[in-house]
Amino acid sequence: MPRIVGVDIPSNKPTWISLTYLYGIGRHQSKRILEACGIDGLKRAQDLSEEEVARIASEIEKNHVIEGQLKRQVQANVQRLKDIACYRGIRHRRGLPCRGQRTRTNARTRKGPRKTVAGKRSVKEMR
Amino acid sequence: MSRSLKKGPYVSERILKRIERMEGGKKEPVKTWDRGCTITPEFVGHTFNVHNGNKFLKVFVTEDMVGHKLGEFSPTRTFRGHTLRKETTEGE
Repeated sequence: MPRIVGVDIPSNKPTWISLTYLYGIGRHQSKRILEACGIDGLKRAQDLSEEEVARIASEIEKNHVIEGQLKRQVQANVQRLKDIACYRGIRHRRGLPCRGQRTRTNARTRKGPRKTVAGKRSVKEMR
Repeated sequence: MSRSLKKGPYVSERILKRIERMEGGKKEPVKTWDRGCTITPEFVGHTFNVHNGNKFLKVFVTEDMVGHKLGEFSPTRTFRGHTLRKETTEGE
């Protein structure tokens, strides 16, 4: 199994797909990287030569932000919003959606598991 | 939908003029209702009193705020959590 940029070891899938196992590379970026390297994306990752792996690695390092570095970048962006106390920053602090979605119902991704409150009317009753 | 790039960012003429006039002199808060006004680099270091529909909230502009709108720093809603019930409510 080839190793690309540190710890990540994509599997015996087509190279194009296995690259998306890296955080920060989706299908689109994956295609672009392989195109830039001149490698057939449908070739299995395990069939890549050492040299091809190196070429992919250098392409990624040169032109893409990935994994821990990308996560840190995202975190820093959120932290900036929190620090300047703008509306979006406040929503981040409170763990609520910050793009104007409704929170009366749903928004479970941000709010986490339901916290049942005794005596609260259900949505069905509210209608 | 986002604003047309052709027009450029929306900046209130009045505020710009006020800031220009205060150039070099002492800075005093600019009272404004114009929540939609984009914060430009010239605003940095000034204080604004931004209307939130009820009161004017003091907003001191720092460098990080450039590109945001004045209204983003003057919340219009007051909800600050539900009253905590006894141990019957779990979590939080």
